[in-house]
Formats: sequence, C-alpha cells, structure tokens
Amino acid sequence: MNQTLSVLDPTSENHSLEIQLSDRIKNIEGSTIGLLDISKPRGDVFLNQLEKRLTAHGATVLRFMKPTFTKPAPVDLRYEISSKCDAVIEALAD
Amino acid sequence: MHDISNLEKQGLPGVFVASGPFIDAAEIQSKAVGIDVARIFVDHPIQDRTDEEMIKLADSAFDDLVKALTQ
Amino acid sequence: MAEKVNDYKLIDGISVVVNSDCPTCQLTSDLLVELGNSGRVTIFSQDNPAFPTSAEWVCDDSDLSFSWHNDIEAVPTLIRVVDGKEIERSTGWNRKEWERLFEVKNLAPDLVDHKPGCGSLSVSPDRVDELEIKFGGRKFVSRQVEIASLEDEIEAMFDRGWSDGLPVVPPTEARVSRMLAGTSRNSDDIIALIPPNLAECSVEKVAINAVMAGCLPEYLPVVITCLEAICTDEFNMHGVLATTMSVGPIFVVSGPITERLNMNSGINALGHGNRANSTIGRAVQLVLRNIGGGEPGGIDRATLGHMGKQGFCFAEAPSPWENLAEGFGFSSEQNTVTAFTGEGPHILVDQKSRSPESLTRSLAEGLKSTISPRMVMAMDAMLVVSPEHLSRFIDAGWSRAQFIEKLSELLIIDSDGIIEGAGGIEDGVPSVFAGNKLPKFRPGGLLVVHAGGPAGLFSAIIGGWLNGAKGSDPVTKEIIL
Repeated sequence: MNQTLSVLDPTSENHSLEIQLSDRIKNIEGSTIGLLDISKPRGDVFLNQLEKRLTAHGATVLRFMKPTFTKPAPVDLRYEISSKCDAVIEALAD
Repeated sequence: MHDISNLEKQGLPGVFVASGPFIDAAEIQSKAVGIDVARIFVDHPIQDRTDEEMIKLADSAFDDLVKALTQ
Repeated sequence: MAEKVNDYKLIDGISVVVNSDCPTCQLTSDLLVELGNSGRVTIFSQDNPAFPTSAEWVCDDSDLSFSWHNDIEAVPTLIRVVDGKEIERSTGWNRKEWERLFEVKNLAPDLVDHKPGCGSLSVSPDRVDELEIKFGGRKFVSRQVEIASLEDEIEAMFDRGWSDGLPVVPPTEARVSRMLAGTSRNSDDIIALIPPNLAECSVEKVAINAVMAGCLPEYLPVVITCLEAICTDEFNMHGVLATTMSVGPIFVVSGPITERLNMNSGINALGHGNRANSTIGRAVQLVLRNIGGGEPGGIDRATLGHMGKQGFCFAEAPSPWENLAEGFGFSSEQNTVTAFTGEGPHILVDQKSRSPESLTRSLAEGLKSTISPRMVMAMDAMLVVSPEHLSRFIDAGWSRAQFIEKLSELLIIDSDGIIEGAGGIEDGVPSVFAGNKLPKFRPGGLLVVHAGGPAGLFSAIIGGWLNGAKGSDPVTKEIIL
C-alpha cells in the first residue's frame, strides 16, 4: 500500500475536501459527446450502439481511440477531447 | 479511470464504463487518484459476447450513462 | 529485563543515557555494567534495551521520550538527581568527573582518561521533526488533507486550487511545525481578518501558506506583519483587490532584520532571485487567495495586473539619509514593514545630470506623468532612488528632507495644461480647476526609498492607487519576532 501524504489545509476551510467533479451538462440533446474507446476488444460494438442511441437523442457524437489500453491517454488526445466535446464516455474496461 | 479523472480536472464531465469485476479496483483507484469519478458497471464477461449481446449491454447502460452526465 | 519507560520522570541517583552505536558508550559499557550491578546507576538506552546489558536497571528509551523531555544532546550523558530534581549533568567519559559523581575512586584504570561523547539520537536531524510532533505538544487546528497515493504531491496542490500558478511546497505537519518555530507568537493567535471574505487568519494558517510559498521560518514574523499592515482600514486591502487598476501590495522592509534575513536591497532589488524577497511577498498573496478568497478572476478584476502581484517585497538599503520608516516616526533600529499599494516599477533614466538641482528637475519631470499626466493629488507614488542617483545628493550635502521639499516645489503643475479637453485630450482635471497650480501629490504622498545596485544612473517610480478614504494609504508596522 503506497504511503499517503498528509498536509495541513491552507484555506479558511469553508469548502469540502474532495476534488470536485466538473459541472454536468444540461441535456444530451444539442451536446457534443465524446466516446473514448480504450482499445479493448468488443468495446467498439458497445460504443457503436451508444453512438446510435445518443445521436437519436439529438447529440453530436465524436469518436476517439486510445493508442493502447495499458497507458493513460496521451496529452494531445485529451486536449482534443476536452476542446471538442461537452462530455465524455470512456469504455469498456473488463 | 485516469483518463476520466484527468479530463475532469480539465473541466470536462465524464463517466467510465467497466464490467462488474472491476468494481473494487475502480473504488481503490478512485481513492488513489483522489477524485470520485462517475462510473457505470455492466455485466461480465465481455470478450465472448456476440454483437447482439453487446448491443443489449449498451442499451441497458444507456439511461445510467445519461444520468451520470446530466445530473 | 529492560523496563519500558512509561514516563520521563527523573530517578534519584545517577542516570546515564547511552546508545549502542556510540564508541564512548561502548568504551564504558563494562564499567556501566559494574556500576549498575552494584546499584549505583540507572541506564536509559536509546536504541537497544539490552545495551550495555539486559538488567532491571536498564530502561528502554527507544521511543526517545526520556531523552527528548530531558534535553539530552549527547551520549553518554550523566545526570545526578536528588529528590526528583536534576542537580547537575555531565557528558562523555571523564574519569575524574565520573569518580566525583559516583563518589567512587579508581574507576576503570585501564581506560583512557577521557573521551568525548557522540550525538544523542533525540537530536539527530532525521528524528527531530517526528519527535517534535510526537512530544512537542504541538496541536494543529487546521484540518488534515490526505493526498491520495497515486497523486503527485505537487499536482495535488494545483488540483485543490491552492496554487497561485507556480508550484507550492506541500505543507506537511513537520514543515509547518518548523515554520511556527520562527515566531514567538502562539499558533492560535488571530492576526487579521482577511478580505474579501473577512476570514479569521491564525498564525498557524499564515505558517501553512508561508511553507507553501517557500519561506524559511525566520521570515514568518515579517509575513505576519505584512498581513497585519494590509488588513487595516487605512490600507483597505479589499479595495486593492477589487479595483480594475493594476495594483497590488508592495512591502518595504526596514531595519537590522533585513541583513539577518539576507534580504536584497542591492542589485535587482525590485526583481527576483532572492529567497526572502520572493517568498515573503508570495506568502502574503497565498494567504489572500487561500484564506481571504481573493484570487484573479474572482474578486480580483484587475484589467492588466502586473507580476509583482505574485509577491513584491524588498529591503531598503542603508544610506546616510533617514530611511522610509524613520520618515514615519520609527527609529533606524526598529524592524518595520511599510505596505504601499502600487503598480509595477517603471524606470526613470538620467545619465547626464551631475548637479542635484538638475537631477531633481529630471525626476520631477518623470514623476509628473505617474499614473497619468492628467491626474493630480488622487494617487500616491513611491520613488526608489538608486545609489548612483543618491550620490548626486549626498555629495552635495542635501538631506532627505531637503530633497523632498525641492521635489515638491517642482511638482506643482499648471492646471490649464491638464484640464479635460486641453491639447485635444478629453481626459483631464475637471474644468472647474482651470487657472490653478495643483500639486501632483498630496503632502506626504510621495514615498522616497533607497535601493538598488551600485551601478546605473536610473531610479524607479512606482505609481500608487487612489489614496484617502476611498482608496489605500501606506501603513507601517513594527515587526514582532
């Protein structure tokens, strides 16, 4: 088990401690949703169906693929996703 | 998991889909990266499923995915 | 059988603190066993409860509680105790001393006469922090934040919004504990209410942010004084944060402390590169954002800003003239901080004036356009006179007061030239002031400071923000160590 580091809070402590998740999108309809394929087999079939359903709900879908599932996505790919999309779904880890 | 947490830190809402056995690992990783990433789990196994079965899996996860991105 | 030490009370008689790594302790180990077996000594063993031997008179001090609480700095240390009180102590092996303390003659005749001791484990650099936290009774009020194991500790600081754009030092308990040793003040003293949120700021919170900024513990009293100065009604830090003008607090430190802290008042004095200058100003800025909630994009709406807002602090250089703080009624021996709201410095070049009269005119010309050529009275300014420029005045025998008086005479402006509409410029002094002679600065509104490297015929002007009740006035406070 890795050592966790403990530090003292430098703030006035009126926020919660967890790193907050980003704000959610309002609607699927009208949003651009990125589908990030982690490159494991069968994931593409899963994502194809999600794309179909999302498009039917009025979303624009963009497809992305990691070069390998063994490492985190490269910076360029992450930048592309975050600059082109309003939200992202990553699939499918097994 | 790391990809979604990195993207969240850049301000993009995201959700991660994995199969059942990944639940515990995802919990541990979430604590390890310090951010409680939205995650959906589908039935295992994945590798030997037919296309129709994969489509069904996607349909079954769809509503939860929408919820994870919009609520 | 070695007993675990349950407390650190002194035991009557002679106690000796040892550790098995120390050659002097090894040298005297047989002797200590002899003394112990004859009931003459209690041993406290720092690392091995079976050293010098396993016995009921050997106590296990492997948690260093006895050593820490009794300030053991070297081993072996002998302590003579009567009625639970320490009467005297001695370190190392010295036959005569030991014979006197134990009241025994001819101790260990085969040993050398004396041998110095070694460092105690309780003062070992790699144990000191942990022991301080364990035994020092330092209780932190601030909540602990766990950085997850896969998080990079520096990235984790950014992710939590605690950084000003540059990496910050993770404020561990050990680091904050060391920082707090830099002041005699209690860690729970509230030193100010930090705007804009008017959050209470304790010495402990300042210490945490000072660690993050990269301060040394000895800078902490200066950081605290800077915050005390800007959180006054006169300084009006809230206004300074909220204005769209590109200004921020600037701190001038005066007095003997500047040398002790190795602050920079010379080459590149208004620039980077000196730890004290760079980190003291930065610590103040981190407190403003982390405690007060005052960050750029939030309450800080500055149109342009300047890099000095990251932290702007420098030391006044000594000179034959009185210093800035003396001008405010302090003595040259007092350590003070003067807080002034200002923009980034801009250069005033004059490489030709030889006479003080000429240079004064030249400086006045430059000062007339501070903030705007068309604004008078509303803003203060700071003039930083470099050594080469200063020498023009010193060589001619001018005093600081004389210089300021002459300068003020030259800073009277004909309003007709700067009235709104004059010269085809819509901006300007309201036309009701036509036909007047107006001073550029209010009385006392021009602060004169001496700093800079030995070569360079340039001085610097730092324009201020609005002064008075609607703006910010300079504040000088004495530093309490």
